[in-house]
Amino acid sequence: MSSTLTAHGLRLSFGDLLVLDGVDLQVSAGQTLALLGPSGCGKSTLLRVLAGFETADTGALTLDGEDVRGPSPLRGMVAQAGTLFPWLSVSDNIAFGPRQGGASDVRGTVADLLAVTGLTEFADALPRQLSGGMRQRAAIAQVLANRPPVLLLDEPFGALDAQTRLRMHEWLRSLLTERPTTTVLVTHDVEEALLLGDRLGMISARPARIVSERALPFGAARGRHTLGDPEFARLRAEVLEAVLTA
Amino acid sequence: MTQGLIEAARAEAQAGGGFLAVGRLHRRRGRRLLGLLLPIGVLVVWQVAVLLEVRDRNRLPAPVDVLVALQEFFLTPSRPTLSGVVPFVGAGWHHLGASLERTGVAWSIAVVVGLALGLGLGLSRWFADLADPLLNALRAVPLFAWLPLVIVQFGLGESSARVLVFIGALWPVVISTADGVARVPRQHIETARMLGTPRSRMWDRIYLPSALPEILTGLRLSLTLAWTCVVVGELSGITWGVGAMMNAARERSGTDQIVVGILVFAVVGLTADRLLRLASRRWVSWAAT
Repeated sequence: MSSTLTAHGLRLSFGDLLVLDGVDLQVSAGQTLALLGPSGCGKSTLLRVLAGFETADTGALTLDGEDVRGPSPLRGMVAQAGTLFPWLSVSDNIAFGPRQGGASDVRGTVADLLAVTGLTEFADALPRQLSGGMRQRAAIAQVLANRPPVLLLDEPFGALDAQTRLRMHEWLRSLLTERPTTTVLVTHDVEEALLLGDRLGMISARPARIVSERALPFGAARGRHTLGDPEFARLRAEVLEAVLTA
Repeated sequence: MTQGLIEAARAEAQAGGGFLAVGRLHRRRGRRLLGLLLPIGVLVVWQVAVLLEVRDRNRLPAPVDVLVALQEFFLTPSRPTLSGVVPFVGAGWHHLGASLERTGVAWSIAVVVGLALGLGLGLSRWFADLADPLLNALRAVPLFAWLPLVIVQFGLGESSARVLVFIGALWPVVISTADGVARVPRQHIETARMLGTPRSRMWDRIYLPSALPEILTGLRLSLTLAWTCVVVGELSGITWGVGAMMNAARERSGTDQIVVGILVFAVVGLTADRLLRLASRRWVSWAAT
């Protein structure tokens, strides 16, 4: 299940500091929009608005035409710092969301997500016993357990080393292909944006606006082989130049 | 790919090295032996002071006198005593049981009230603004300052002893719970709300487990204080209790019996603290760094 997320004219200030200046975006059902922008441009704030943790001063935010108000299991967000509860095991973290909704038997959901994330053997482990990549996969599983139509990813692999990050990109790409979910990914990593996004949005320096948007031409099956694609290399150089001059 | 990641993580988990672990074990044993040195030193100095007759034997009993008194207290059959007289010989377990029961009941009530107050202070700005000044002022009152008022209100005896233990044990629980709850990371709260936790259940599903390490530290401190306060509570109007026995021993200049009381308090206090520390490690192993 996935939905269309639409934002129109989102504007947000913290005191005198204007952070979002009329953000417009639309993410169609099952698509992944990668938002790329320089550090400190307001990417994470935009995602927090989409998640409902912050409320825009003006503008409209809708999910399938319904106004979005406050955080909700319909919009699952995973941040770089991770969202796992340290006192719960991996399986209890994954089961946490469905249990809040009153589900009594969540074993099937948990087993499925443990298998999908490759964490079956670590079901009883505590988050601190996992490696960084495992923690982020568990955090994504925790959010997916609620079957949210929208997934919001805030630099989820930013703290990982380059090799692990590439593995995570491949894993997430295949996961999103298997389970189409409307996804917004914010990142400052050009490679990550090109590997994971169906569309790429460029964000200006603060105050944030989406200054351009384009479809990415690499198809569904992306991974390390995509890095050698001349079109990928050309686009990476072009986008990097655009970010540096933003 | 996934299998590779699991294997890598296993190797990572097993890394750390057997030699390092053995080294750590030896160091830990060394530290434990070091901890025995000071008590042995105190015992030697004590015995030397007795041999040199620094004080007369009634005021400074020899370690062996204390051992004999300890044996009389716990292992000798009890003798009948007059009503109102605090017995010593053979009365050890009865005194100890009375003190433990008194402390346990009052401490448990202090924990329940302290958790409720601490959660209220940590969760509700309104309640914190309302109650914080008064609670902080009451917290600053020394235990002995409460003593006259408690005796006037509850009379000499059982009730006063329990109230004093309650007052002494309450504050560490209140403070640690309020601090722990106030320090719950914002990301836990936001994640829970995003995953659908109702506001009415945030306290037991997020705040309480997240603040548990701080709360357990407060409980340990609170238990130590409760055990200290029970001595004060048992000083008068009570026949059964280790504190009552010590007070009676003071009246008959039984210094060896007073030292027995001190030893009992030390051993029980240490044991209770160790048990709670063990429970802490088990319940909040997730917080270990």
